[in-house]
Amino acid sequence: MASVNPSQLLPLELVDKCIGSKIHIIMKSEKEIVGTLLGFDDFVNMVLEDVTEYESTTEGRRISKLDQILLNGNNITMLVPGGEGPEM
Amino acid sequence: MSRKQTPSDFLKQIIGRPVVVKLNSGVDYRGVLACLDGYMNIALEQTEEYVNGQLKNKYGDAFIRGNNVFYISTQKRKGLMN
Repeated sequence: MASVNPSQLLPLELVDKCIGSKIHIIMKSEKEIVGTLLGFDDFVNMVLEDVTEYESTTEGRRISKLDQILLNGNNITMLVPGGEGPEM
Repeated sequence: MSRKQTPSDFLKQIIGRPVVVKLNSGVDYRGVLACLDGYMNIALEQTEEYVNGQLKNKYGDAFIRGNNVFYISTQKRKGLMN
């Protein structure tokens, strides 16, 4: 019935492939982060660079940060490799 | 299953640097990172508290409990839009 496909891609493997490229991160709240992925850990805390922070308010606020950040994995809902972020 | 060490490497690198710590509540703290641990508990010096982008308070020393932390960011002066 269920056959093991040896070429399965595990979720964390997909994230690992994304290291060095742009990633779009959607949080549990109305917030999104776009940046270049430098690394992550087992808890999916993420180290990112050249980050833009998007907040969904009535005005659609956007904050741009440079340099590196450590994003707490606790609030992350979804990761989109190569994502450009919300259309704003 | 031991993966990239990057978050803990990052934490070792940034001690002593000026950082921005954003909390889940949206409040922003800017100060010099004195120390932190694996729970993201943070000790800051010369801390400024920004609420909605406005400076609200200044603290000589501040301790932040890690469960509240949304992100920790290093600060560079160029192009900091806030």
